[in-house]
Amino acid sequence: MKVETVKAEKRDVIGTRAVRRLRQSGQIPGVIYGHGLPAANVSLERHAVEALLAHGTHVVNLEMAGGNQSCLLKDVQFDHLGATPVHVDLARVDLEERVQVKVPLELKGHARGLGEGGALVQNLIDIEIECRAVDIPDAIRVNISDLGVNSALHVRDVALPEGITARQDPETIVVACREVTQPVAAPAVAAPTETATEPEVIAKGKVEKEEGED
Amino acid sequence: MAMMPARVKYRKHQRGRIRGNATRGNSVSFGDFGLQALEGGWLKARTIEAGRMAATHFLHREGRVYIRVFPDKSVSGKPLETRMGKGKGEPAYWAAVVKPGMILFEVGGVDESVARLALSRVAHKVPFRCRFVKRRHEVG
Repeated sequence: MKVETVKAEKRDVIGTRAVRRLRQSGQIPGVIYGHGLPAANVSLERHAVEALLAHGTHVVNLEMAGGNQSCLLKDVQFDHLGATPVHVDLARVDLEERVQVKVPLELKGHARGLGEGGALVQNLIDIEIECRAVDIPDAIRVNISDLGVNSALHVRDVALPEGITARQDPETIVVACREVTQPVAAPAVAAPTETATEPEVIAKGKVEKEEGED
Repeated sequence: MAMMPARVKYRKHQRGRIRGNATRGNSVSFGDFGLQALEGGWLKARTIEAGRMAATHFLHREGRVYIRVFPDKSVSGKPLETRMGKGKGEPAYWAAVVKPGMILFEVGGVDESVARLALSRVAHKVPFRCRFVKRRHEVG
C-alpha cells in the first residue's frame, strides 16, 4: 500500500460562494473528521487530489501547519459530469487500526466459457474489505480461468490475502459467464406507424373531485 | 420497435423546461463504459432505438448494451396544413428528457477500443454533444 503526502491548509471560509471562489483558485474544499475530535475544514490542491484518485490511494499523509496527520480518503464528491472533484471527505486514521474500504477487483486469466459461446458479465467491480490501514491492497485479483458457461464466481470464492476479510454478502456474484442467446427472428408483420400504437391510458380526462375534499 | 410506456395516466404532456444538471443517472452503473450527454435535450424513442441498433450491430452480439434512458414524455404535433387552434395536437412521438451529465448508453463485456467504436457510432445519432466515459471505482 502506498501512503501519499499531500499539503493541506486549514480553511476558514465556508459557504457556497466562498468555496466556489476557492475552487476557481485551484483548491478543493475538504473536511477531516473522526477519532472523537472536532471536524476541521481544510483545502487541498486540486491537482494533488486528482493524482490521489488516479493512483487509487486510500491513505493520505496530510501536511498541515499543526503537524502531519494520517487520513483515510472516505468520499469524493464530483461535479455533474463526474470529471472534476468538488469536495473531499477525510477520516483520521491510525495506520494500525482496522478499517473498511472498497478496493477494485481485477479479473485475471481467460475464462473457459468465453471459448464456448459465453459472455462475461462483471457485476462487482469493487469489493468491500476490512483490514489494517497499512495493509490496504491496491486491488484484489480474481482468477477466472475456470469459469465455464452459465457459471458464476461469488464473493465467497475470492481468495483474499491474510489479514483481510470481505465485508460483503458471500453470495454476491462477482462475475458470471452467461450464454449468449441467439435472438429469435420476429414474425413478419406490417410495420406499425408511430402513432398507431399508443399506451393504455389509466385515467382519461379530468378526474372529478370527491365530495368533502378541499 | 421504439420504446414507449405501457400505461400512462394522461396521453399528452406539457413541454416543460430542462433546468440544471443531472444529479442521478450520471455515472456508469451496469456496463464498463458509457456515453454521457454533455448537453440537455429531448432524445426521441426512434433515436434511442437507432443507437441501440448501431451498437448491437457493431458488437456482433458480443458484450452487452444497456439503455439508461426511457422515453416517457409524449410530444404532440399538429398535422400539416392545419390552421392554429382547435386544441392541442395528437401525440406524435415519445422522448426522454436528458439533462447534462446523464448516461445514455452503456456497454459491458468488451474491450475499451471496441466500446469506444460502438459508442461513437451511437454518438453520431444523438442530437447533442456526448463523451465516452469509463466506470469509476468507488472511493472509501
